[in-house]
Amino acid sequence: MQKTVLVVGAGPAGLSAAAGVAASGLNVVLVEKAARLGGTPILSGYAKLVPSGEWAKDAMGRMVKRVEDASNVKIHKETKVTKLSGEAGHFTATLSNGSTVECGSVILATGFTHFDSINKPEWGFGSYEDVVTTTQVEQMVAAGKIACPSDGRVPERVAILLCVGSRDRQIGREWCSKICCTVSTNLAMEIKELSPQTDVFIYYMDIRTFGLYEDRFYWKSQEEFKTKFVKARIAEVTRSPDGRLLVKGEDTLVKRPIVIPMDMVVHAVGMDPNEDNPEIARVFGVGLEKHGFVDRAEHYTNTCGTTRRGIYAVGAALGPETIDDSISQGQAAAMRAVADLNALVQKTA
Amino acid sequence: MAIHEKSLIDSDRIKTSDNLVLDGVDVSGHWNTMILPRYLSNYDTDFGRKIQTFTGAENVHRCWQCGSCTNSCTVYAQNTDFNPRYWIYLTNLGLKDDLLKDKDIIWTCVSCNKCTNICPKDVRPEGVMKALAHWLEEEGHTPHTKSSIFDEEFTGQVYETGRIEDSRVMINFFRKTNQPLTPPWFIELTKRMMKHLPVGFLMHMGLHLVFKPRTKSWGRTGQVLREYVREQKEAAHKARTMPKEAVHV
Ligand SMILES: Cc1cc2nc3c(=O)[nH]c(=O)nc-3n(C[C@H](O)[C@H](O)[C@H](O)COP(=O)(O)OP(=O)(O)OC[C@H]3O[C@@H](n4cnc5c(N)ncnc54)[C@H](O)[C@@H]3O)c2cc1C
Ligand code: SF4
Ligand code: SF4
Ligand code: SF4
Repeated sequence: MQKTVLVVGAGPAGLSAAAGVAASGLNVVLVEKAARLGGTPILSGYAKLVPSGEWAKDAMGRMVKRVEDASNVKIHKETKVTKLSGEAGHFTATLSNGSTVECGSVILATGFTHFDSINKPEWGFGSYEDVVTTTQVEQMVAAGKIACPSDGRVPERVAILLCVGSRDRQIGREWCSKICCTVSTNLAMEIKELSPQTDVFIYYMDIRTFGLYEDRFYWKSQEEFKTKFVKARIAEVTRSPDGRLLVKGEDTLVKRPIVIPMDMVVHAVGMDPNEDNPEIARVFGVGLEKHGFVDRAEHYTNTCGTTRRGIYAVGAALGPETIDDSISQGQAAAMRAVADLNALVQKTA
Repeated sequence: MAIHEKSLIDSDRIKTSDNLVLDGVDVSGHWNTMILPRYLSNYDTDFGRKIQTFTGAENVHRCWQCGSCTNSCTVYAQNTDFNPRYWIYLTNLGLKDDLLKDKDIIWTCVSCNKCTNICPKDVRPEGVMKALAHWLEEEGHTPHTKSSIFDEEFTGQVYETGRIEDSRVMINFFRKTNQPLTPPWFIELTKRMMKHLPVGFLMHMGLHLVFKPRTKSWGRTGQVLREYVREQKEAAHKARTMPKEAVHV
């Protein structure tokens, strides 16, 4: 009889699932390919999280500690699952460090990969040092200083371009990454807080600060922090002779071309499917949906299910997701996994 | 409303009076110019579908007005009144009257397809520009364009002989468009060709002008082709002119 659940990935979703299973008294084996736990918010050095406003290292730190302190959670860092055999209730997983794990069910919490801005060359990333991504600005905020990478000067003007690597058929990314609007309006406020003389402009097609994020982030950014919103998708970013960046496009509301000098341009990068997904699909025998994320089962009664019985998926592995929702899904999948094992116990009894 | 950009306002809506009294207050002088408000009073909901029946405009309904086509456009860089995003908006909503205001520049699209390459929704704006130009021509809003005349001469020769003779296309095109048969640029082009092309080839071209060679066993092919194209055009035209309940695109 199996009393172990295998959790793959130790980001917000996986840490939540591990904690949930552990709290129910069953055993967890947590496999994480990176050397640290905490997932993307830690590995990419995010600053304050949306919507809590808590520093990522504190919030994720608490989640990590809860799992590390649990005596029934065994953690493998810098490890991947290389093989999975058996079926729901009786899986055997082989790990890249040579060990094997007998488990009743599996929770995939393998997350996403950041869009690589190099794939949109017209927007200047890779050509100009002062074109950066939201991840880099998160790191600047975490370090407490907003500065142009080229010469360290404090930018007078920052442009944030939304939907970079999202909502774009040209590059086969037909999804909205869900959280970047909120993250960007929040970053605009954080930039202003650290550098009151900096003006921040957000270039948008739509603002998707859904639910309660509308007034807390969008309106607050506009009303209290004077963030300027321009309805335009930028054509290209070039450099002017004085070394500043030029943002070119059409302001669709005034129906006029714009060529605006900026000191720093920020790409609000989207969430791609985890680049490991083809391998994950092969190893775990689960399907991927058409964009390359893990395919989910019917949600109403097979919550967190995948295309294979006994294997669940949560968080950004399933599609662009927020931290809060990833955490809720982790708990939900823990519930499913525990229920499965209990049902097995009843059957064998 | 104060006038910021007179150029944006239709001249027949600007009213200037020497003496103007509003609510008993004499506002002659500084405030003597007024703009009559313009209301959009209806949508031609069938217009977008009509444009979609032209080849190339099938995706026009996908547009979400991001502006990428306009800001990447070669012609827009020269003339900011040339605005594919705006015209696509008008097309989808069926604001035909506004579209007609720009009828004299829509055809100036140079088919560079920069818009098509950048459009995140794969609308293919270049095809929409062509479709709009064809629609304007078909409805008689614009005269038969030179490019249509060129196309007709070109395809006409294909039907006839299964091939094209460059020099014959050019000469007939000049004739039909009332242009001198030897514009300076054409003389220059010919001169350079004589300089760089082998003599045999040039003689070949000259002979072909006189003898009109046909592709081997072309036979009835041209006739069949002509008939097919005519049928297709007629079907497309019929689809456009039928009431929308009657067609399923
Ligand atoms: C710039 C930016 C800022 C953001 N800020 C916020 C915010 O403020 N608030 C918010 O709610 N959301 C934010 N997000 C979204 C947030 O990053 C995700 O919601 C969250 O990371 C998803 O958690 P997850 O656990 O599903 O995946 P991840 O955090 O990606 O964790 C996945 C884990 O799995 C591991 N892994 C991957 N593949 C394998 C494998 N094959 N084997 C073993 N382990 C593997 C990874 O190393 C990683 O540790 C932001 C996103 C971006 C791009
Ligand atoms: S959340 Fe906003 S920035 Fe991100 S892809 Fe969606 S619309 Fe674009
Ligand atoms: S194809 Fe026409 S509309 Fe498109 S960018 Fe070129 S000139 Fe502009
Ligand atoms: S680029 Fe495409 S989606 Fe954007 S405005 Fe032009 S046609 Fe519409």
